Amino acid sequence: MFKLNLKIALRNLWKNKGITAINIGGLAIALAAFVLVMLYFTYETSFDKENPNYDHVYIVGINYPEFKTDYAPAPFAVAIKQNFPEVDRVGLVKGSSFELTIKNGGNTLFTSKILTVDCNAAKILNINPSGGLVKPSGDAERLNYLSNESMKILFPDKKDNKPEIVGFGASNLGITGIIAGSIKNDPHSNFNFDGVSISNKLGNRDNYDMNDYTIYLQLKPGVNVLSLERKITDLYRAELLKNKVGGSKDELKGISTFLDPLSSLHLKPKAGNNTPYKILIAISVLGLLILLIACINFTNLSIAQATKRAKEVGVKKVMGAFRFQLITQFLIEIFMQCFAAIILALILAELVLPSFNTLFQVQLSIWHLGNDLFWQLPLILSVITLIAGIYPAIILSGFKPILVLKGNFSTSKQSYVLRNSLIVFQFSIAVVFMISLLIINSQLKYMRSQDLGFTADEVVYIKNISIFNDPLKFEPVREKILKIPGIKSATVATFVPSGQNGVNSYVANGIKANIDFVGVDFDYFETLDIKLKKGRFFSREFKTDTANSAVINESAMVKYGIKNPIGQTIRGCNIDYKIVGVVKDFKTQGFENIVQPTIYTIKEPCGGNKMQIMLKIEQKMMAGALATLKAQWSDINKQDGEDFRYLFLDEMYGKLFKKQEQLQTVFFAAALLTIFIAILGLFAFVKYITNVRIKEIALRKILGASNFQIMKLINSSFFVMVLIANLISWPLAYVLTKKWLSTFAYRIDMPVLPFMLSAVVTVLLTIITVSIQTNKAVKAKPVDALKYE
Amino acid sequence: MIKLENIEKYYANKGVKNYVLRHVTTQINKGEFVSIMGPSGAGKSTLLNIMGMLEEPTYGSYFFNEEDVTHLGERKKIELYRNHIGFVFQAYHLIDEMTVYENIEAPLLYKNVSSGERKSRIADLLDRFNIVAKKDLFPNQLSGGQQQLVGIARALAAQPAIILADEPTGNLQSVQAEEIMELFKKLNREDGITIVQVTHSEKNAGYGNRIITIEDGVIKEDLKIG
Repeated sequence: MFKLNLKIALRNLWKNKGITAINIGGLAIALAAFVLVMLYFTYETSFDKENPNYDHVYIVGINYPEFKTDYAPAPFAVAIKQNFPEVDRVGLVKGSSFELTIKNGGNTLFTSKILTVDCNAAKILNINPSGGLVKPSGDAERLNYLSNESMKILFPDKKDNKPEIVGFGASNLGITGIIAGSIKNDPHSNFNFDGVSISNKLGNRDNYDMNDYTIYLQLKPGVNVLSLERKITDLYRAELLKNKVGGSKDELKGISTFLDPLSSLHLKPKAGNNTPYKILIAISVLGLLILLIACINFTNLSIAQATKRAKEVGVKKVMGAFRFQLITQFLIEIFMQCFAAIILALILAELVLPSFNTLFQVQLSIWHLGNDLFWQLPLILSVITLIAGIYPAIILSGFKPILVLKGNFSTSKQSYVLRNSLIVFQFSIAVVFMISLLIINSQLKYMRSQDLGFTADEVVYIKNISIFNDPLKFEPVREKILKIPGIKSATVATFVPSGQNGVNSYVANGIKANIDFVGVDFDYFETLDIKLKKGRFFSREFKTDTANSAVINESAMVKYGIKNPIGQTIRGCNIDYKIVGVVKDFKTQGFENIVQPTIYTIKEPCGGNKMQIMLKIEQKMMAGALATLKAQWSDINKQDGEDFRYLFLDEMYGKLFKKQEQLQTVFFAAALLTIFIAILGLFAFVKYITNVRIKEIALRKILGASNFQIMKLINSSFFVMVLIANLISWPLAYVLTKKWLSTFAYRIDMPVLPFMLSAVVTVLLTIITVSIQTNKAVKAKPVDALKYE
Repeated sequence: MIKLENIEKYYANKGVKNYVLRHVTTQINKGEFVSIMGPSGAGKSTLLNIMGMLEEPTYGSYFFNEEDVTHLGERKKIELYRNHIGFVFQAYHLIDEMTVYENIEAPLLYKNVSSGERKSRIADLLDRFNIVAKKDLFPNQLSGGQQQLVGIARALAAQPAIILADEPTGNLQSVQAEEIMELFKKLNREDGITIVQVTHSEKNAGYGNRIITIEDGVIKEDLKIG
């Protein structure tokens, strides 16, 4: 019986080869997309899952009235450990703020991320050197490890696990150190590093006013996190009060702590944004919808074929087939197609995977043991078989034999309605994707063409390990640099546009507020081509500029409500700054975040170190200037020596667009796929419909209908459906894209064109598809169609 | 074998009852070969459909083998189809995707007949109807008469006690029609299978041993012949 059903199913599919191929092909494409989405979803949601402490690790973050941060003072870690027995371990972690060059003979390694951790943190975060975690002796010793990849660069032939002596920084400095061994760096973890420095205890000399560590807690199982969070907040306030940091008791009420689990660190950290999470959800929904659209093609075709299949159902019933036997038969038929589609989908996914990996900067693969896909795929197979097969299985198998066998059977009105609403549904989704894509395109275009307020072109950012907090120290460097032809200006600052600035508390006009600060040198504004609004930039002619002058931006002016800022005082870091100029706001952090109130000062005692060198170089002479710089760098900047490294600022800034560009690509693929699959379904559907209606068409022709009239007749119903689909999806797309646009501080107005355009495109595609199919039926001679029967 | 008591069938249309059958009471005994005759729209087919439980009467009772089957669930009905009733249709209603062999085999599969038994029964039927050479062909490769032969073979495969045939020769040329009717006669005489057929043709009716004539939903005449 099973064998017979299989055989019949195969014959049936073979008979409708074209339609079957379209069906399976469409489903395979959708499934391939879905498989990729699932791989990505599993990957993104399982960061650090291999950590045995996964469920018990939390970050201690701090809520300030203006912002949240993961950075906390080191002594607080000790206090938590002393006060709360439910906390198993407390660990401290610090990232590195600058690049370090490590050398072994001719091999040079540029490390951009060295994690500094204490022993407890290493245990909590499952950072295990090969050969096991060794406790450093005493409080001062630090054991330095490199990631396996870094180790390979420095010691390509190293096989053993013995410590090695390496040089730090430029070779002329003669600083050496010991690398104790290597550690596996897991890219599938929140803690990526080129190297790790492990010590017994960190932050010994730190106070409560220095928030520069991240505190990790490992809780004992079964601890109530919410109540612990409250207790830690109380402790934090008490400690701040005791150490006389952070102001009065009332002011402390605005400060609290939070616990953020390790599991949400990657996608939706509390101190950070949850855009990656939202994008992940969006992508997953996209994958599901594409799959659903492909499944609908099956159902629709089943409905189209219902008249014919109904006869089979009737005959089989009077021959003694129970309904469930028919249901099984239909499901087997669908199952076989879905199975073929899954095989095809895996091949497709494998082909697309490299580009997918590049786009999302991940290393996913299908064929590895322990891949969740191996249990997910059979599940998907069953689910899509059910979705695609539910109509034939339930409706077709329920037909009454008498209705079918009498000979004048036609499918009921319900299935007509169902069929049309499914087509409308498919096209609605396709239209939503299309509109979204067009709007994403417009926003990205806007972002690329909009005036940023500064010019990143021609600006080169040079990595450097020397600290130039004193302008006098940078002056000779600048002089040497400017001698090189093509270099127009040079400056150094604490932060580079495209990255985060520092935040500090400043008082002006009687208002106290946390605002961004950037420590700069002369020519900072000139190098970045920032526009002046009032007053002046920093200048060497004013002796006070290196002592207490400040330039603020427009937003800061608004924040403090200063009408005439020039000459006013702004106090922070125990210095009374005098405002000498106001610059126009410029978008250092992309389009999502509103420009922060910012203060620029040359003297910046409590911020970061001025290490970020920026040069403005004439485009035409760029290559030559860079080559000269590289050659002369060990003379210009002794500490960095031969290790001259640079980035173009416009490329760094472009990285801020990365996530949105990913989204654009994803929507491009989604829109293309949904439209394609929907049209494919329509194509097969119309092909079948015209086959059925061929007699009707012939009759109409005999009665005098012109070809055009017949085309119009068949087209009209599809035309109406697509129009309805557009009407349904417009408000939906409007709400969704509006929501997306609102994540940008700087955005376009909702355009009308995408709505119009998607309507035109879908209607045109439909008419073309339908006409191609009907054309054949229309061109056929009526005699041929009417001869038989 | 079949006992109909006061069967009525009407379709209500805007409050007006359109009667198809009125007060039909009759009995069909084992071994009979009954032809139902009458003009178009008289209710012949409806009566046959009611006998085959494809339609339910509006009023009245129907006993099949002494059992009340007037209102029967689908599962019970299909059990009866499997074991007692064979259908033959005017349009043959063979399954296009199955070969001749498979078409005949289908009812046996549903009845869970063992594979050996199936083979011998089908071989027997193919042999008897002279269609052994055609067993691997598909219905659309056969002539109408041959298709109907397969239809009858399929109806007989499950060894039913009764065959209900709705104008079995309606789509056939006279020579083929005669062949089919001869076959029916033989099945009735030699195998003792009860046959009820609906027909327009006096000549076809002549092959049976009883003629029921229906006009306007009422039995006008019930004639035993031969």
